[in-house]
Amino acid sequence: MADPAASGSVDKSVQVKLVLLGEAAVGKSSVVLRFVSNEFQANKEPTIGAAFLTQKCRLEDRVLRYEIWDTAGQERFHSLAPMYYRNAQAAVVVYDVTKATSLEKAKSWVKELQRQANPNIVIALAGNKVDLVQASASSPGAPSSSESEDEADDATATPGETPGASEPESLRQVPREEAQAYATEAGLLFFETSAKTGEGIVDIFTEIAKKIPIEHILAATRGAAGRPGGAGGRAGAQAEGSVNLDSTTKPKDACNC
Amino acid sequence: MSTISTALRNFKEPTKEQLTQIFFSLPSVGSLDGTEKTPAQEVEKMDINAVLSLGVQGEEDAYAGKLYIMSPYLAFASLDRKSVRFTIPLSTIRRVERLNARAGIYALSLSTWHGAKIIVQLTSLRPTADLFCSLLRDALKIELQRGQMRAVKGFVKTCYSEALVSTTSHVADNEREDGSLISEEKDDPTPRESTYHGGLGLKFKFPGDPKKLREASKIKLWTQYLRAHGRNLTLLRYPQCTRLVQVGLPNRLRGEMWETLSGSIYLRFSNPGFYEQLLEKNTGRTTTSTEDIEKDLHRSLPEYAGYQSGEGISALRRVLQAYSFKNPELGYCQAMNILAAAILIYMSEEQAFWLLEVLCDRLLPGYYAPSMHGTLLDQRVFEALVQRCLPIIHEHFQDVDVQLSVASLPWFLSLYINSMPMIFAFRIVDCFFCMGPKVLFQVGSPSSIQQHPEEADALFSAILKINGEKLLQIQDDGGFLNLMRDYFASLGDSAHPDSPDPRARAITRFQELLLVSFREFSVITDEMILSERRRFRSEIIHSIESFSKRSAIRNLKSLGRFTKEQAGLVYDALYKAMCIVPPPPDVVPPPALVAAGDVGTEEKPETRIELRTFQFFLSEIATWARDERIVSNGFQRRVDREIAEHEFIDRLFFFWDTSCRGALSFQDLILGLDGVIFNDLMENIEWFFNLHDKNKDGFLTKDEVLTLSETFLFIFRYEVGDAYLGAVSRFMTNAFEYGDALLPPPEGVQINEQGGETPPAVPTNQPYLNLATFRMVVLADEVLESFFETDLSASFRLEPLPEMELPVSSSGLLGDIWSTIATDNNKKMFNMFTDEIGKTIGKHQVVHRPSIGRYTKLEEPKARESLLTPGMRHSASKSSLSAESTKTVATSTSSTLSVDTTATTGKASLPSSGSGFSPLPMLHAANIALMERTPFAIDDAKDDEDESDEDLDGGENDDQVMDEVDAFLEAHDSGLTDADKEVAKDLLTAEPVK
Repeated sequence: MADPAASGSVDKSVQVKLVLLGEAAVGKSSVVLRFVSNEFQANKEPTIGAAFLTQKCRLEDRVLRYEIWDTAGQERFHSLAPMYYRNAQAAVVVYDVTKATSLEKAKSWVKELQRQANPNIVIALAGNKVDLVQASASSPGAPSSSESEDEADDATATPGETPGASEPESLRQVPREEAQAYATEAGLLFFETSAKTGEGIVDIFTEIAKKIPIEHILAATRGAAGRPGGAGGRAGAQAEGSVNLDSTTKPKDACNC
Repeated sequence: MSTISTALRNFKEPTKEQLTQIFFSLPSVGSLDGTEKTPAQEVEKMDINAVLSLGVQGEEDAYAGKLYIMSPYLAFASLDRKSVRFTIPLSTIRRVERLNARAGIYALSLSTWHGAKIIVQLTSLRPTADLFCSLLRDALKIELQRGQMRAVKGFVKTCYSEALVSTTSHVADNEREDGSLISEEKDDPTPRESTYHGGLGLKFKFPGDPKKLREASKIKLWTQYLRAHGRNLTLLRYPQCTRLVQVGLPNRLRGEMWETLSGSIYLRFSNPGFYEQLLEKNTGRTTTSTEDIEKDLHRSLPEYAGYQSGEGISALRRVLQAYSFKNPELGYCQAMNILAAAILIYMSEEQAFWLLEVLCDRLLPGYYAPSMHGTLLDQRVFEALVQRCLPIIHEHFQDVDVQLSVASLPWFLSLYINSMPMIFAFRIVDCFFCMGPKVLFQVGSPSSIQQHPEEADALFSAILKINGEKLLQIQDDGGFLNLMRDYFASLGDSAHPDSPDPRARAITRFQELLLVSFREFSVITDEMILSERRRFRSEIIHSIESFSKRSAIRNLKSLGRFTKEQAGLVYDALYKAMCIVPPPPDVVPPPALVAAGDVGTEEKPETRIELRTFQFFLSEIATWARDERIVSNGFQRRVDREIAEHEFIDRLFFFWDTSCRGALSFQDLILGLDGVIFNDLMENIEWFFNLHDKNKDGFLTKDEVLTLSETFLFIFRYEVGDAYLGAVSRFMTNAFEYGDALLPPPEGVQINEQGGETPPAVPTNQPYLNLATFRMVVLADEVLESFFETDLSASFRLEPLPEMELPVSSSGLLGDIWSTIATDNNKKMFNMFTDEIGKTIGKHQVVHRPSIGRYTKLEEPKARESLLTPGMRHSASKSSLSAESTKTVATSTSSTLSVDTTATTGKASLPSSGSGFSPLPMLHAANIALMERTPFAIDDAKDDEDESDEDLDGGENDDQVMDEVDAFLEAHDSGLTDADKEVAKDLLTAEPVK
């Protein structure tokens, strides 16, 4: 991670608190790990309570510092979640495309966030483990040739129905269209991702960065953190208009990770 | 998802006896279903002052303390409760002798299985000592009979310490600091491997470098200690034991010592074979817990070689599953996989299973429960302790809005395993199982419940303290977490890297941490934690409850027309009902499902209440679903509330049970109430009609008409005056009359066409009255109209319930006294007592609070002009009040008995004659029910009149009664709303009709 921004001046970056929510073992931690250190671990220990990671992300001339709260997925940890999503400006709600019930849980998270969390929160829906349902079992490695050592069996994919080479498409339980339709209806960003191959991961964070009302954050944190107000105003002025402009930027470049 | 649990309310502070049991790590009696304990053989518990000395001369000092007999265990704790203690099963005592000693000294010599000789000098008075001895004798006899004595021999063979001690001194002496342990492993005769239990570490290596950990020296020291002080079941814990634990247990002994120190060994000892049987019984069973476990199996200490093999994974699976089967309510919580994986490195599956039991049940109570209340509570307690011990850090955290628990919660839950490097975490676990005897001399029993969290607290406080300066610089949660992570990662580094003294440089940060923990934070005591827990318990419970309330409401698929606040009130009523009439466990989905409460299953578990709970629920909401008596006896005025039972309520229950499960969910209740509470006149009439139309064919049968009338009578049972009685009577008359009149061949105006009706005689169970007719009948009566227009909906009242009291947490002596006095029973007795006095002095009055309370006097509201032709409505007119119509309409007066006779016998037009159907018995029953109302002043008056006077609306009788009614209104606020009172007032001044 030779990221100059990461080690560079803190004052210029905008802090964005982001929380990951979703059913147990859908790959929340893996999504974060891929985003933060571009790694993948087949057997990631379940998150207890929550884990905290940070990653800087450059979008045009702004530097966003994501403070990522990766929460525990098991139902009984649910009551702790408000502790983590309070004051969050963004949320990624993750489900597993091979598990229909995980989308239901995701929907209930969205509902909770929309009612309980920060009203301006930007929510993204991510259907993870899409690598398990991509047709050619032999050649999904194309975008991820560097991670051959990580191709070991993904144990977080519901064991028992281990994705053999046979008909990967049949593993899919959540059609893309269905999730997309829901996301549109609920006003969410939507992505299908694979933490294993890296597909779609950076895009989530890039799109969130574009959608975040930066000026609000700056206004809220200015003074308290002693950041120069001028920088905030400048960044804020561009926040709204930047979405279209940035569509030309390649996501990989947008984020320095 | 929408499970509603009232479990938290059932919490009870442990009794003193329980605290003692907990202190000595004794298994709670009867906690296991598989045990063949015979309670008849229970021997009384007793404790006695004693001085303990070890038979080996000069080995250890003598300690004064208390000796406890808690069959089948004998336990001792020194006065400070930490220096010396033991808990040994009676079955390991081989010999008890009374010692010849100087006069006045009463001493016993106990020989244990391992040959240790314990001498206890009973320092109490002679008779007490005698009693103790006889109890001990009895208890030993029972143990002998149970054959436990024989079990010991086989059991101890499963303990590694036996192998360790039995090997010739050669092994221990063989110790060299250069990893001689490994060579010893090779020398170990293989047969022994099979007899004692061991963990995955034996095969997959233990974490850490044995040389660096100085395993061999530790083993040597422990061998010496165990040889002199007993081991496994008979371990005597002297100060040396604690010190040895603090420097870290040797890997091979670790599992057994955990088992011994935590007391899980007693569970394993007294439940041989339980683990295997449990697994066998549940072979192939899948629950939400087992599904969750599967997800996490490969995610538990994955870097350890043992968990990269099928062997380790399946051991872990079995242990976790077995625990979830044993305790389906708790099931499986993430973090347990990490604990289980950690302990399985050091111990066998069976050992791990019992240790997990002790952890979840006793050491970390409520940590892994579905609500995680124990975790939340201890986080709160911890915060309070930091505030007390490290006020500067606390203030800083407050200023920058950092929550301690973002960091501390995961550590508490997983005992620092996977937060720290493993070798350090295991040393903390060592202390966790052993330490804690923070001693208290004061009132209130110290308990080991607190020892362990306390120790963790102390530790964490130390962490905060050591990092004090850096902590004061952090600005947010994230910075805090990062700091802690970095600190943990550096635990192996030198604490004083720049020190010139090589010995100081050798001190690791971890050692520094332990030292600070135990030295500086010994101020955190058991008692402190106990009282802090008491202080915050209700706060935590409230916040958990309000959280689950919010999510229950959020998870409703439909709110109907309710606002969230109103739904909250419905929830409160439901919750109260569930507390008081808990739904039987078989109605809620199988415990395993509830426990996991997870989203993995197709069908989400949902809390449903059955009829009994529903009755209570409804009594909270609907005024007529409860019997409220306002009792005044000169001393007090109180409202006694009882749940009404009536077929109508049952009917409502099944009416709302749209999915036909015999139980209602919160959603069902919301939709059910939504169906009535917002209704207008016409909707209410239809609702009422549908409610009584059992087969939903759009017609009421005659039977149903009668049932419906009974419902009316039920709802109106406490109304003041006779208006409602009259209305119901008229209703019945009219219903049958109209019904008949509208039967084909039709006569006169017909509102609705009625297809398919053939004979004039309609069997009682055949379609008879349709909605339109019903509506007509209802609208013909002012009383019923107003009932349907407003009163029915208004009788469902969503009112904020008073805060329910949490179970009394007896804090101190006064709390104890109060809680014993203020029991429900005593309240009842007090009430009865005052009632009796009230009766004798003639001030006892009981008034039933009316459900509707619209009419407060006997005035008869007039019946409506009927929609039917004049010819048809001769009975429906308001002739009830006129003398010439009494022949048919005595009905509508309050003297209901006479009504029935005229109604049934006097009317040829009634279908009864034709079909052989007689509504008489039914009406009779209804009226008897009516008459059986609790004697009420007005009723009395009326009954008298029934004999003599049919003409009720004659003013003077009314006036007398009215006076009484007025008196009641003055004396007892009948709980009317202001609007109702207005109406009531108006009625008071209204002229009698006619």
